Amino acid sequence: MNCRECVEHLYEFLDRELTPELEREIREHLEDCPPCGEQYDFEELFLKFLRARCRTQGAPAELKKRVLRELFGE
Amino acid sequence: MANTPSPDVSPPVDEKRASFEREALVHLDVLYRVALRLSGNPSDADDLVQETMLKAYRAWDQYEKGTNAKAWLLTILRHAFINEYRRRTRHPETVDLDKIEPYAVFPEVQDEDPQGAFFDRIVDDEVLRAIDQLPVAFRETLVLSDVEGMSYQEIAGILDIPVGTVKSRLFRARQLLQGKLYDYAVEMGYIKGSPA
Repeated sequence: MNCRECVEHLYEFLDRELTPELEREIREHLEDCPPCGEQYDFEELFLKFLRARCRTQGAPAELKKRVLRELFGE
Repeated sequence: MANTPSPDVSPPVDEKRASFEREALVHLDVLYRVALRLSGNPSDADDLVQETMLKAYRAWDQYEKGTNAKAWLLTILRHAFINEYRRRTRHPETVDLDKIEPYAVFPEVQDEDPQGAFFDRIVDDEVLRAIDQLPVAFRETLVLSDVEGMSYQEIAGILDIPVGTVKSRLFRARQLLQGKLYDYAVEMGYIKGSPA
């Protein structure tokens, strides 16, 4: 595993979408390679940031009422 | 006997309603967030969710209970969006996705802010605005994955594309979004850098 391959698979690694074998190779590379480790931290932080920023909003209460009214006549 | 309600008629309706509330209505927030990002405004998002729920309730017998209601509902929502809403837009998207060059932000900030502290200064609305500027094919993939936490396999099913396409769209969508947020952070003076 070299740095280019590691960076190429970084998102899949973060998304837990790799085969166990490839996942182990990446993990080993990240432990031995500080620059790739830094990029991993950066990308992980970015994904957490994105999720936190975009999930604050839910369906408005009025919409919920409207759906119930339409479905069940309430 | 004539006054006793027939058990053959009323229970299935209650049962249908109960299972729909338990398995489908609990995903209202997810459907609304995805609808809002797809349609771009609260009023269309309301209509899209409403329509999705009506279609889902009518087709509820076809849904295999206890499987993946969230993915099933999102598939209905996306079809409704394509059929009813995308058609209405006067300027259909003509972006050639393959011509969008991936851009890596990390090398740009590696020296100044390797821990990405500048992200923390960007508010919700700005992030959502940047997502809304992505081409719809990238936007829907990114929202399903990064906001709603769906797997590649689930996304492939909802969008009816191969898993490999999910992977490459997600990769480029994330880089494109990072680039937009980085440009914004530079503009706002959150980071010195040089605009991406």
